[in-house]
Amino acid sequence: MVGGLIDRLVAAAATILTVAALIAPAAVLAAEPALEPAGVPRRIASLNLCTDQLLLSLADPEQIIGLSPYARDPTLSWAAAEAARHPLLSGGAEDVMVLKPDLVVAGRFERRATREMLARRGLRVVDFDIVRSVEEAKQQITRMGALVGHPERAAARNAAIDAALARARTAASRSGLRVLAVSRRGWVPGADSLISSLLAAVGLVNAAAELGFAAGGFASLEEIVATRPDLVLVAAAAPVAEDQGQAFLLHPALDRLYPPERRLVVPEMLTVCGGPMLAEALDRLAAALGRVER
Amino acid sequence: MDGTDAATTAGTTGVRLRVLERLPVLLLGSLVVLLLLLSLGIGPVRVSPGAVLAALAGGGTEETRIIVQEIRLPRAILAAAVGASLGLSGAALQGLLRNPLAAPELFGAPQAAALGAVLVIATGLADVLSFVLPIAAIAAAFVSVFALLVVAGRNASLLLLILSGLALSSLAGAGTALTMNLAPNPFAALEISFWLLGSLEDRSLRHVMLALPFIVAGAAVLASQRHAFRPLGLGEEAAASLGVDVARTRLLVILGVALGVGGSVAVSGTIGFIGLIGPHLVRPLVGYDPARLMLPSALGGAALLLSADIAVRLLPATTSVRVGVLTALIGVPFFLWLILRERRALGGGLG
Repeated sequence: MVGGLIDRLVAAAATILTVAALIAPAAVLAAEPALEPAGVPRRIASLNLCTDQLLLSLADPEQIIGLSPYARDPTLSWAAAEAARHPLLSGGAEDVMVLKPDLVVAGRFERRATREMLARRGLRVVDFDIVRSVEEAKQQITRMGALVGHPERAAARNAAIDAALARARTAASRSGLRVLAVSRRGWVPGADSLISSLLAAVGLVNAAAELGFAAGGFASLEEIVATRPDLVLVAAAAPVAEDQGQAFLLHPALDRLYPPERRLVVPEMLTVCGGPMLAEALDRLAAALGRVER
Repeated sequence: MDGTDAATTAGTTGVRLRVLERLPVLLLGSLVVLLLLLSLGIGPVRVSPGAVLAALAGGGTEETRIIVQEIRLPRAILAAAVGASLGLSGAALQGLLRNPLAAPELFGAPQAAALGAVLVIATGLADVLSFVLPIAAIAAAFVSVFALLVVAGRNASLLLLILSGLALSSLAGAGTALTMNLAPNPFAALEISFWLLGSLEDRSLRHVMLALPFIVAGAAVLASQRHAFRPLGLGEEAAASLGVDVARTRLLVILGVALGVGGSVAVSGTIGFIGLIGPHLVRPLVGYDPARLMLPSALGGAALLLSADIAVRLLPATTSVRVGVLTALIGVPFFLWLILRERRALGGGLG
């Protein structure tokens, strides 16, 4: 029990420190007293890339008064095009206070000081956890749908995910191939992560468990080569070395072991958050797997 | 005793002297080779020494071959080359300025080179595996060392040089961080730490090809000037009267330092204090002749950086420790000790 708890804490800390710091959702119990409080909010601000995605998909455009700084980044934000219609926030407390929203949605593991300050000012702040499975993503969609007063949209999004899950099951690999999802600087999402859940849906196994990563961690090139997964899952077929972190993905050692026919390519914006984009993520993953296994 | 006997004695003494002169170079050279091999044997994955040697020769399993040849070998080569380049640059600057506290790091050259590289990336001119990167880094390093020597003046005191260098490196470091913050890169924080603290982790042979030509060219330029340092030790006027073109030597040394430091920083980020410590560690072995100090300083720098890069892999940290952190931990106390030793000269600079 204690070991599990420590593991969770370490995992959470590791996640905060890295890629996932940008991100954050998954429906959660905790200190959220009423799921549907008095009245439907009409001015909603989002502090987190993943709550951005949920809002853009479930709320009316008029309800949204501000999105997080990366909402329009086409590589990370699935709803980047819709986000262009809304103002971006700095991510800090000041501009949120000035906007006087009646609801602020945020990630549980980031900007703690900002969230606490907003709550002290009497704003209603609702936190969303990091999603660790497709199931948790569906719960979050339901929760956000209820929050913004559009449960029917949430139900439709979840039905789309269920349909994609059913398609994935029929296309699933029977061979149980071991896959490592590798992103910049060797960040690998761990065994207890959304990626594992997506991989499992198409009959694949996340090899991160062999590296001892629960939530995720940085794998060195040597460790990846020694673990030698059957396939790697990457965000782009031809990454550009825009910084040293990206250059990791272009290292000849990875090229040698994982030529294009051993890479599953699913864009980051589909896997970085849990939300309605998971239907597309599952379809893309199944299609990529089909190409590899052919 | 007849004439031939005397000649033989003189001859053997000469041979013995030459052997004694070469001994430090031989010793340091063997140390570097030893550290290179050790560097190939250390990493997150355990590979036995036998398997390492087999993999080097092209045998063994595919995994060990890839780990040794494609991951550890480039890292070891870069550690040796970057360390040698910094050590040599330190020795050359100390020779040029007749100043034991001269070093590229204290003059802000690596920090300026990092700024040059980061500016090129931020403006989208090139990615990190392009030749534009080292060229921009070299240009920035050249400008910074040149500016420093102009600001501090030709016969600058230690104090003036160090203060101007400190100012320049702070400015360049702040510029690097600001540039990365302004660039639309969500991972700026991690990337800033790379440029400011340096790392040799997971480099490839492409990085080696990117840096090595410039490092070699810089070393050749610096080595060509080594004979000017001996007369320069007597002062610039005396050196000029002995036929040394002081202005040309100064320009070529700055160019050589910029080539070596810029090429290094483009692939390794800013790694500090090797150029300061390297020459000091080997000086007791070779005496105070600045020309003879060059090769041992390069070897000393290579050995230092190889050791530091081995040490960061042995530290039981959950995230990788930047090699620049370690060189600063060793380098700063050493620097303070040097200042303590040179205090009189520093005080003299004030008065």
